[in-house]
Amino acid sequence: MLKREQWMDLARKLDWNFSYVEEKDVYPEEAAGTPWLPQQAWAAWDEPYRTSYSEYVRGQAAKEASVKAVREAIGRPEDFERLPRPWLSALKLHGATLPLAEFAAVIGNLRAGRFARASAWRTTAAFGALDEFRHTQIPLLLMHGLVPWDRQFDWTHRFFHTGNWVAVAGRHLADELLLCSNPIEFAVGTNFVFETGFTNMQFIGLGSLARRTGDRMFEQMVNSIQTDEARHAQIGRPVLEILRKHDPAYAQRLVDKWFWRSWHFFAVVTGFAMDYLTPLEHRTASFKEFMEEWVLDQFQRSLDEAGLRKPWYWNEFLASLDHYHHMVYASAYTYRATVWFDMAVPSPAEREWLAEKYPASWSQYAPIWDRIDQRWKESGPGVEWHTHGATPVGFCDLCQMVLCAGSPMANSARVVGHGGRKYIFCSDPCKWIFEAEPERYASHKDVVKRILSGEAPANLLELIKHFGLTADEWGKDAYRGGYPWMRGTAGRKNGGDGDGEGRLNGRPQKVRKD
Amino acid sequence: MLVPLYGFMRGDCLGLIVLVHDTDPVAHIAETLAQAAGMRVVPRPGGSVYADGKRLDPGLSVAQAGLTALDRVDVIPEEHVWPG
Repeated sequence: MLKREQWMDLARKLDWNFSYVEEKDVYPEEAAGTPWLPQQAWAAWDEPYRTSYSEYVRGQAAKEASVKAVREAIGRPEDFERLPRPWLSALKLHGATLPLAEFAAVIGNLRAGRFARASAWRTTAAFGALDEFRHTQIPLLLMHGLVPWDRQFDWTHRFFHTGNWVAVAGRHLADELLLCSNPIEFAVGTNFVFETGFTNMQFIGLGSLARRTGDRMFEQMVNSIQTDEARHAQIGRPVLEILRKHDPAYAQRLVDKWFWRSWHFFAVVTGFAMDYLTPLEHRTASFKEFMEEWVLDQFQRSLDEAGLRKPWYWNEFLASLDHYHHMVYASAYTYRATVWFDMAVPSPAEREWLAEKYPASWSQYAPIWDRIDQRWKESGPGVEWHTHGATPVGFCDLCQMVLCAGSPMANSARVVGHGGRKYIFCSDPCKWIFEAEPERYASHKDVVKRILSGEAPANLLELIKHFGLTADEWGKDAYRGGYPWMRGTAGRKNGGDGDGEGRLNGRPQKVRKD
Repeated sequence: MLVPLYGFMRGDCLGLIVLVHDTDPVAHIAETLAQAAGMRVVPRPGGSVYADGKRLDPGLSVAQAGLTALDRVDVIPEEHVWPG
């Protein structure tokens, strides 16, 4: 009987030379990607996992059984009532952004399953598509039980279908990277950069924080997903190596482009969770420290091994580790009614921790939070709008995120003209990405352009409704401004009654029921 | 005519849309932005308005200062130096 390694290639290397059709007709360049190379150039493509169908099914069945067991053991709403409220916001952030982005990744993998240029690559991408189906359905399954318990969890299921500004940014990224990219760009952008470069931080770093916070279901979910990601992420490296051999400038450009776009995504989704939404006593390292350990070291090594340079904006990226997620969090807090999860003011102890972890930058954020404290003290707990912005905010014409790059002392946004229109970019890398392919991005309207053209209302309350949020769904201060360190300066007349420590009146906090 | 501008208050963490009339004095931009950013940055009177790194005469109108829709302006308290 043949050993596994003797028959495995027979099941993976299935290409043959075409006699009745042209190779370019089977794999047209617009679907298969640039540069178009003859099949021979891809013949040596390989990846280390080399999974067979039966191995895949066995492995996935075991993982599904684990997820099911954890859900049955600890997936009831009362299990979540024990969790600190800011952490629930991290779940809502993931519950909104994860499932449909993963489904978009199904499409990207299926395209590679059809048009990728090596059969082994197509095989792994087909398994990758099945993986991403799991990653769509697991968070939907695990969080579905929370829908009747909390309207904000219900809203997470509507997120991608709305004109909410975060959804606009999420779709702008996911549509391009996952739905529209040809297999070559998908392999570099998704498999090499997004999955190999960044998801360790999400799955290992955030998974460990979930465990410490007591959220075993989230921990189980990300662990289960991570084992799939580790396998299909291996598609990226061999594609990049062949691409670099034939078009090194394009290979470098794709890495530079998707590293920046991925960074902005993770800075919000993971940066918020690690530095703000995880209870202080459970934090083991700052988001920046996780980035340095799990992304910078590993990604630089991967780039070296692939014969590529660090992205041209590396210094700007390193500087943004001290700023970007702090900028966005403080901005989002003061526009929290425009999102679907609650946010908290960092406590004095948390600010000490942030100052220690971010000695180069926290002095620029401390005055902002001091001012927010001052506004809460003026109003007393419960008066959300006194610490909430009313003026429309600006959005980047590339990443669609709020204009939060640079630092409070030197915001890096810049306006440029193109085709008779003005565009604003939060940063030089976003401007560079736009200018490399303006035809891809120029017609898109950010939220401000939609307001100016009459497609969205300018009034904030109307805009929030346009985003699809109602009063019982939109984000509020997690403790309604009822923070212990603010007591004694203003009355408690307005009903804020949290203690700022995840409890309400000294008992575990019940989240709203409707 | 209304002129929407991208406004950046020094010390603030995001850019805002400032809506002014083209006949408004430049100083009005500073006041409007200070108010809009007031829940994050303590409003201080007398901020200077900059565009493309140049300080604008506060007495000029928005149109006279050459500002048009979707230009970037920065408001910087007098004690600060333009970052360059």
